[in-house]
Amino acid sequence: MNNLDSLPKKKILSLFMTCGFPTLNQSKKVFSEMLSHQPDIIEFGLPFSDPMADGPIIQEANKLALRSKLSTQQSLNLIKELSKSKNNTSFVIMCYLNTVRKFGLNKFIKNIKSIVDGIIIVDLPFEEEDAIKKSLSKNNIHLIKLISPMTNEKRSQKLLKNSKGFIYYISATGITGSNKLDYKEINKNVKSIKKMSSVPVLVGFGIKSKKDVIDISKKTNADGVIIGSALIQKYFDIKMDFNKYLKSLKKFIQEVKV
Amino acid sequence: MKTYKQPSSVGRFGEFGGMYVSETLMPLLLNLDKSYKKIQKDKKFRKELNDLFKNYVGRPSSLHFAKNLSKYINGPKVYFKRDELNHTGAHKINNCLGQILLAKKMGKTRIIAETGAGQHGVATATVCALFGLPCYIYMGSKDIERQKPNVFRMKLLGATIIPVESGSKSLKDAMNEALRDWIKNVRDTFYIIGSTAGPHPYPKMVRDFQSVIGKEAREQILKAEKKLPDYLIACVGGGSNAMGLFYPFLNDKKVKIIGVEAAGRGAKTEETAATMTSGTPGILHGSYSYVLQDNDGQIKEAHSISAGLDYPGVGPEHSHLKDIKRVKYFGITDKEALEAFQTCSKLEGIIPALEPSHALAYLIKAFKNKHKNKVVILNMCGRGDKDLFTAAKAIGFDVDE
Repeated sequence: MNNLDSLPKKKILSLFMTCGFPTLNQSKKVFSEMLSHQPDIIEFGLPFSDPMADGPIIQEANKLALRSKLSTQQSLNLIKELSKSKNNTSFVIMCYLNTVRKFGLNKFIKNIKSIVDGIIIVDLPFEEEDAIKKSLSKNNIHLIKLISPMTNEKRSQKLLKNSKGFIYYISATGITGSNKLDYKEINKNVKSIKKMSSVPVLVGFGIKSKKDVIDISKKTNADGVIIGSALIQKYFDIKMDFNKYLKSLKKFIQEVKV
Repeated sequence: MKTYKQPSSVGRFGEFGGMYVSETLMPLLLNLDKSYKKIQKDKKFRKELNDLFKNYVGRPSSLHFAKNLSKYINGPKVYFKRDELNHTGAHKINNCLGQILLAKKMGKTRIIAETGAGQHGVATATVCALFGLPCYIYMGSKDIERQKPNVFRMKLLGATIIPVESGSKSLKDAMNEALRDWIKNVRDTFYIIGSTAGPHPYPKMVRDFQSVIGKEAREQILKAEKKLPDYLIACVGGGSNAMGLFYPFLNDKKVKIIGVEAAGRGAKTEETAATMTSGTPGILHGSYSYVLQDNDGQIKEAHSISAGLDYPGVGPEHSHLKDIKRVKYFGITDKEALEAFQTCSKLEGIIPALEPSHALAYLIKAFKNKHKNKVVILNMCGRGDKDLFTAAKAIGFDVDE
């Protein structure tokens, strides 16, 4: 069973959060809060020292998580613990290749098998994915594909062949947490992706509010949204008061669950 | 040994290299690779670059027989390939001219770069001034502090300096930020990477542009000594000056090649930048190569007195050359480099940058009273003006006004 294979058809909500942020213990509470809303997908970011494709907010979250020397094993244990109350929510890991490599691909898969439904390896391009994809699919874990506005049609076609789970469309030509959303461009590109693949297309990067979520659903053909930086930003907005953070997180998730 | 032919079409040097970047960058790199392949065959481009090398940079740089230093070492005949005499004072300008010509051909209108010691930043700001393109330089705030003269130079040349406060606030973090800028501004921006690091095609492209150093040195030494050198020595941070010197000699089996890394306070300490001595293979800045990392693959901070060598990674071609044992790599500490910095200044009347001071220190240490009748070419890849404050502070000389 892979939860990603039974995602709803429309208005899919995926919530991203960095493991171990702000601390390992607090992180458990953060994810439990997120999970209690039963979003369609939770993305677990494994912290990396050099998160080259992430914006300043997620960078800061990585830094805070790593400050207490969080190990990959601890992150994976956290995910495993949370999976007890997983229900229909899909679990997806988002990480950089060096983390998986250094941990060992087989050991990594062993740790997440039957727990995690999909994985996004940000800096693993399609050209380099063969061996990893094979091992993952043997264990019923989907390798999620990213498509950017710079990906042309020819390349998209190659990339999306046999795609599983969902497709992560990077809305702005930019890094996570950027500010502008160009609905016309998103709609055009999502339409073209949907011609090539039957799995849901989720729009990520730069989605900050209930209004953004509604606009994506109204003005584009996308099947859902991914919210990440905005969830983390709340922590800095309330001056890092953790109890207040949990409350504001709860309120925000209720809002965006439209 | 078979004829050396690296990298592969996908940017592999043996198992190292590659393109490990997000899908936001991938199409750009593929496009860059295509454009680079095209201009390689373009005679007009070559001519334009050669003219700039000759008239703007002052190439060929001379090959100087360092008589006094040779006498002091009491070993081989030492030649300096004097790329420190280039316009802007280091080898970095060779690559910047190549890349900005490419940027122009690709129709890019905005230039970004990362810098550590500031030499690459100065070189980039220089070529941007020459070609009238806006220039944004990412520089770690720690490096801004220790390379003030270069910061001022870049500003004079019209560049905007963007201080980087993340991570160790040095070269590695500057490169992260520059990559982020590139992702954000993919359409109009060209990223001039200063070393043989980063994703394909950069390691190859930078090597090719820098290999003018080795090509000239080869001709010059054949003229001076009627034979090839016995040894080549160069310092290695990301590794561009070293690749520039080494590459045209890789097929000459008899030429022994040595790369010298910065071991900071010692290769076995935590405060080192000796990637190939103390590191393990991993992925940093889009390339698979030796890196300083912990058991979880988190990249460690590097340390060196020389900002230009203060990088926890190394170009993938060096990793390959190490593994096939074509080049041997050694570490030199801050202290050893600082001594060589002074020795060379006194003996040859040449104040070297702290980067080639590492190569000098290795030469003095390993060749003393040995290898007589041999010929060594050392790449004097930068001059020491930029390091005067750092060196004075380390030596204990007060240069404050």
